[in-house]
Amino acid sequence: METAKQIIESYDGRKLRVMEVCGTHTHEIFRLGIRRILPPQIELISGPGCPVCVTPAGYIDEAVMLALEHGAVICTFGDLIRVPGSEMSLAGARSKGAAVKTVYSPLDAVDFARENPDKQVVFLAVGFETTVPAACLAVKKAAAEGLANFSILGANKTMPNAYRALKGSADAFLYPGHVNAITGTAVCEDLVKLGVSGVVAGFTADEILTALAVIVRLSASGEPFFRNCYPRVVRPEGSPAALKLMDAVMEPCDAEWRGLGVIPMSGLKLRPAFAAYDARLKFSLPPVAGRSNPACRCGEVLQGKCKSTDCKLFGTACTPLHPVGACMVSNEGACSAYYQYGDILNG
Amino acid sequence: MCVGLSARVVSIEDGTALIDASGAKRRVSADLIDDLEPGDYVMVHAGVAIAKITDTDADESRKIMESLDGNGETDH
Amino acid sequence: MDNMNSNDFVTLAHGAGGRQTAELIDRVFRAHFSNPDFTGDDAAVLPVDAGKIAFTTDGFIVSPFEFPGGNIGKLSICGTVNDLACMGAKPLYLSCAFVIEEGFPLAKLEEIAAAMKKTADEAGVRIVAGDTKVAGKGQVDHVFITTTGVGQLTEGVRTSGAFARPGDAVIVTGDVGRHGCTILLARNEFEIDADVTSDCAPLWGTVKSMIDASRDIHVIRDATRGGVGTVLYEIADQSKVGIRLNSADVPVAPEVRGVCGMLGLEPLYLACEGRLVVFAPKSEAPAILEALRKGPYSANAAIIGEVVADHPGKVVMTTEIGAQSLLPQPGGELLPRIC
Repeated sequence: METAKQIIESYDGRKLRVMEVCGTHTHEIFRLGIRRILPPQIELISGPGCPVCVTPAGYIDEAVMLALEHGAVICTFGDLIRVPGSEMSLAGARSKGAAVKTVYSPLDAVDFARENPDKQVVFLAVGFETTVPAACLAVKKAAAEGLANFSILGANKTMPNAYRALKGSADAFLYPGHVNAITGTAVCEDLVKLGVSGVVAGFTADEILTALAVIVRLSASGEPFFRNCYPRVVRPEGSPAALKLMDAVMEPCDAEWRGLGVIPMSGLKLRPAFAAYDARLKFSLPPVAGRSNPACRCGEVLQGKCKSTDCKLFGTACTPLHPVGACMVSNEGACSAYYQYGDILNG
Repeated sequence: MCVGLSARVVSIEDGTALIDASGAKRRVSADLIDDLEPGDYVMVHAGVAIAKITDTDADESRKIMESLDGNGETDH
Repeated sequence: MDNMNSNDFVTLAHGAGGRQTAELIDRVFRAHFSNPDFTGDDAAVLPVDAGKIAFTTDGFIVSPFEFPGGNIGKLSICGTVNDLACMGAKPLYLSCAFVIEEGFPLAKLEEIAAAMKKTADEAGVRIVAGDTKVAGKGQVDHVFITTTGVGQLTEGVRTSGAFARPGDAVIVTGDVGRHGCTILLARNEFEIDADVTSDCAPLWGTVKSMIDASRDIHVIRDATRGGVGTVLYEIADQSKVGIRLNSADVPVAPEVRGVCGMLGLEPLYLACEGRLVVFAPKSEAPAILEALRKGPYSANAAIIGEVVADHPGKVVMTTEIGAQSLLPQPGGELLPRIC
């Protein structure tokens, strides 16, 4: 049996463009040096599956406003701390006295709210289907305990309509295994009918290489295909309990993706029954139109329309220490990965 | 987008599982998995056990590669 | 210790320079640091030997100020002792300056002083001068310590970050990232438990064992803030060489790996306080490793890579799939990656 690595390295068929949708895939692919073993006929494109990268500047502005003007304690995943808003990042707000707390889980933010009844605690709910159940559990827990000082600032997103919007960007998707662990694989099967190919992939070296090898083999026929290469975690039906929970707490809404614009019904917001936990309503936040640097090409990078290195800000005005665009600030962002793991000899 | 961690379930109490990943222990929500038992391996994300793990990555990858050598290329 | 009730806490009066300052110094510092060179005069008067001295200073702030495997006192001695040791200098004398927050418990201050004394004794160094200031509540985080040290250079030994050469082996003296991981857990922000203790240790003995085994050592550097990854980039830059690392050879305790896995962190960037990165010709490496593995703080010493002439200034890692990947340059705040 040929190993996955051999299949990939020896591929010399027609050009294959594979989009890894998930930021953790991007990160692991760079960290493992997988791009360096690819033949020229296989191109990997880093798609929009890093929640930090697709979170619009206006969202950071809202969080900064909650912290500085409303005195709320912002609880967030570490990923968001350095993302630039229109005026400043959360790290910038912190240096102006904002209370910004890094948490591992939204449930920890609920614990913090319970222990600090005199403080308003807002959790920044970003993330895709994998992360949404944790936010829903947090809201349900706060509601069950009657915590009046906990709310979430929502920017959760869902992938299916994003895949449709990205149709044609690549020959095959490397689907994000942990999203499929929640959603199941029906959405991918449906995409096959639209001519969109892909495989669900896990995150270890073995799993990523295997998934790429499967793409190489299944592409040979020229027919659209789908294969679940991560069945040890991803069941066809996903997680019925998680889907039920999400449906009980949240409902679909249009959502703005940084760089991609508004994708209809690609976001989630709290259902009216949980409106008391919606920070926008609770603090009557005004509509915010965030401003990004107009020269930043993160949006095109996310769609595979250009490479990070094609952006004139890349590596000059925009570096991991001084990020302009979200793809540079997130460790999982395509630009950050290109910059940090980039060219050994020249980069 | 979703850093997942494979971990062993040590104990379960009131919908909360104590999990162990190479000696790093934490309590996580077990609300999403009904029949979780100590000794099970789970995928953990943001303080929630999101799925049971049924195989090792090496074994799974081997099985998938073997299936490719079979009828893989004719599979739609 | 007799009058604990009225003297439980450090007060602003302790820093005012009067009788209470003298009492604090007597009770805590003179009691613990007592040695013939620690006098009541304005400066310590010390003999000067022939040869050269190494001279360094370092400030210490750590939250929490006590943690599994040590406290800020032990840390403040190790940090300066290790900086001297890295130059091949036998640590001789230290001074220490305290900035203490009003209300800090005296018993804790005594614990810190006791740890300093114990660590200094182990390193063979004398604390000969000190200073104490008290800052108002909230102006410092419990206690800050600055230590300054001098050491006697060992003849025939010259190390510098600029001396790494192609063909050198890269050695670490133990598993990486323990101190950073310990502090992360001690802050309890992420509610993770793991049996990890800080690697904080005075390393003059470790250095001595290496230079007794080989005088041909090019670089010794202690990996503190920014961890081993930061040191490797510093050396690659200073020596204008490339470094190749084999990721599988980097020693990491399973618990540290587990915590890093949970939070999306890289152990190579977590701080150490008792680990050295050593560059020496490959021919010398076996003797150095053999000496290290007999030592109390370097039983897990390992060769993790080599110096090459290619890609100067860069650290390239051979990954678990056998591919080459650039080790990202560390920078900025270490933030857990979750979503």
